Amino acid sequence: MAATKTRTTLKSSAVLMAHFFVSSGIPDLDKTLGGGIPLGSLVMVMEDSEAPHHMLLLRNFMSQRLEKGLRIAWQYKKYFGENQSNLDAQRDNKQYFSNEFDLWRPLDRHFYTTQHVDCISTQDLPNLAPLQECCTSFLSHFPSDSNIVCTGRIAIQSLCAPQCENSSMEWEMLSFIIALKTTVRSANAVAIITFPSSLVSPSFCKRWQHLADCLVSVKAIPDEDKELAKLLTGYQDIVGFLNINKVPRINTQVPAVLEATTLSIKLQKRRYLVLECLNQAPIDGSRGRSYGTSGSCSGSPSQNGSLDF
Amino acid sequence: MADSICRTIRDGALEGEHAPSLTIKDTTASPYGFDVFTHVLSQTASLILAGKSQSRGLVVVAYSRSPSFYLDYLKRSGVDVASSQKWIHILDCYMDPLGWKHQLAETGILPSNSSADSCLFQDVKDINKLHSLILELGSGLVGQGKVRFSVAIDSVTEMLRHVPLSKVAVLISDLRSHDQISSIFWLLHSDIHDVRVTTSLEYLSSMVASVESLNQSSDGLSGDLGNLSLLEQNFRRGKFHVRFKRRNGRVRVMNEQFHMGESGIKFTSVTVEDGLVSQGLVPKVLFNLELSEKEKLERARVVLPFEHQGNGKPIQIYDGRRSLAPESMGEVSADTSQSNTEECSNGGGEIIYFRDSDDERPDSDEDPDDDLDI
Repeated sequence: MAATKTRTTLKSSAVLMAHFFVSSGIPDLDKTLGGGIPLGSLVMVMEDSEAPHHMLLLRNFMSQRLEKGLRIAWQYKKYFGENQSNLDAQRDNKQYFSNEFDLWRPLDRHFYTTQHVDCISTQDLPNLAPLQECCTSFLSHFPSDSNIVCTGRIAIQSLCAPQCENSSMEWEMLSFIIALKTTVRSANAVAIITFPSSLVSPSFCKRWQHLADCLVSVKAIPDEDKELAKLLTGYQDIVGFLNINKVPRINTQVPAVLEATTLSIKLQKRRYLVLECLNQAPIDGSRGRSYGTSGSCSGSPSQNGSLDF
Repeated sequence: MADSICRTIRDGALEGEHAPSLTIKDTTASPYGFDVFTHVLSQTASLILAGKSQSRGLVVVAYSRSPSFYLDYLKRSGVDVASSQKWIHILDCYMDPLGWKHQLAETGILPSNSSADSCLFQDVKDINKLHSLILELGSGLVGQGKVRFSVAIDSVTEMLRHVPLSKVAVLISDLRSHDQISSIFWLLHSDIHDVRVTTSLEYLSSMVASVESLNQSSDGLSGDLGNLSLLEQNFRRGKFHVRFKRRNGRVRVMNEQFHMGESGIKFTSVTVEDGLVSQGLVPKVLFNLELSEKEKLERARVVLPFEHQGNGKPIQIYDGRRSLAPESMGEVSADTSQSNTEECSNGGGEIIYFRDSDDERPDSDEDPDDDLDI
C-alpha cells in the first residue's frame, strides 16, 4: 500500500527540470516555493525566541509523510508525545500532493510506531557525533537513484537550544550541518532544521544561513497592537509572520522572484495552518533579499530598528 | 504590569505544557530588580496561603540573601510566616555555598551552627544535586501527586558564577517541564553577562520583565549639580517593561512605571502610549490603502463618466473630440454640462474620459476584444 501511494503521489507531483518535489505539509508554502521542497535540499528555519511557530512548520512537515519513513530528532523527547496530528487523507488530493492537517486531532499511536519512525534526543549528548551517525544510517535507506520508491524526511528542532551542552560548540555544529547537507543531497530525502537565530553568534548565524538551500524565518507579532491592526487586514487571525529568505534553486541558474516574501501565518479554526500574503506592499525592493538582518529582529525592546523584509 | 505577572504565576501551568517562567532583569542604571523579585515573591506567597493559586508550596533558592531576610520580608509584607514550615522552603545557598565554613568547622576553627528553618546547601557547583533537592523539598511541601509548587531563584547571576550556562538552562527547562512545578521565576542582572546569556534565559522564559531607568543617558553623569536632586528623584523611578509570550504565538507588550518608596516598590500605569515598539515591526508602506472619512466623502462625490447617472437626467461627457456644446443636443446639454462642472468643482474629484472612437456608444459595456476572431 505504501508503494502504490507513492506512485500516485509522484505522478501528480510537480516535476520541474527533472527534479522531484516533496511537500512541506503546508499547501500555501508549497505554492510559494514553486511546487514544494526539492529532493535533496536542506531547509533551515530561523526561529523567533518569542513564538513557537517553527513547531507548526515542523509538525506539518512530519505529518505529511508519516507512513513513509520519518526521522525525528528532538531536543526534548517530551514533545514527541505532544506532537500528534492526523493525516487527513481524504482532502485536497487533487490540487497538490500535500494534505491539510488538523493539528488538534491526535494520531493513533500504532500508526507511527509500526513505521520507520525514529526519535532521538540530543539534550544529553556531549557532542553531535551520535546524531550524525544516526542521520547517515537513516539516509542510507534512501539512496539517490531514478527509481524513487520512497523519500525520507529528517526534522531537527532547535539545533542550538541552550539546554544542550553542545550548543556552545559552534564549529562542531557547523560541520554537522555541512555533513548533513552533503548526505541529504545525495539521497532521496529532505532535511529541515530549526534553530533560534538569536542564540547563535552572528558570524555563525550567517554561515548557517548561507548553507541552507531554503531559508525561512518566523516572527512573532505583538498582541493587541492598534497600529498593526490598522495597517493589516485580518490582524485578528494572524499569529505571526513567515519570511521566505531563500528559495531552493538546485540545478538551475534561473533566479526565483517571489510575489511576496513575507506571509502571514494564520490558524483557521485554530487547526489548519494557512499562509497568506500581507495586504501591504513592501516599500524597498533593494532590502527585500537581505536575509541576514531578519534573524536579529527578535524581541527585546531595545532593538527598535526597522524590520528588514 | 506587575499584576498580570502575578496573575499568570497564580494561574500556573496547564496539563502537558511547560510551566510559566518569568525573568526579571535589571541593570545598574536602575537596580531595582531585587525589589520587583521580592514583590512578586510576597504576592505569590500570599496567594498560596490564601489558597487562590494553583501552587500549594514555594521553594526559594536563595543565593544573594539569607533565609531569615526572606522570612522577615514576608512578615513585613503581611504574610503569615508562623506556619511557614507547611508552605515554604528556603534553600540556603547564601551562607555557605562552597562548603568552606563546613570544612573549617570540621577542623575546629569555626563553631558550627545549624539553622532549623532552612536547608543549607553547600555544593552549588553540583547542579544535579540542586535539582533533586529542589524537587525533594517541593514534594515535601505538597506531597507526591498532582499538587504543584512554585520555585523562585533569587539570583541566576549568582548561580552562573558557579555553573555554566548550559547546565543552568538544563535545570530551568527540566523544572519547567516537570509535572509538579506550577511556575518558576528568577532574577538576572543583565549587564553583568554576555548577550548570549541574557537571550538564552529569555528564550527559556514565557515572560520577560525588565526594569529600566527613566533617564536615557547611559553614563548617568550629567555634570550639573543643579540637576542632582532631579537625578536623584528620577533614580527612584523607572520603567517596567514586560513581554508576555502568549500561547498563540503573539507577544503582549506592557509598560508601567514604578516608584521606590519607603514601603517598597509601587507600580503605576503609564498614561502616554508607547507606540515605538510597534513602529519597528511594521514594514514601511508606500501606499496607504485605507481611506479616511473625509476621503470617503470626496470619493462619493466624484461624478462618474457615464451618460446616465442613475438620477434621471443624462449628462454629456466631454470626450475631447467634439466641442463642448454640440448643436444637436441643444440647451439641455449646456445646462447639464454646467451643472456637471459645478458638481465637479465642489467635490474636487473629476474623471476625465476620452472615448476611443466615435463609434463607441455611451455607457456601453462592449468589450472591444469581442471583435477579434481567433
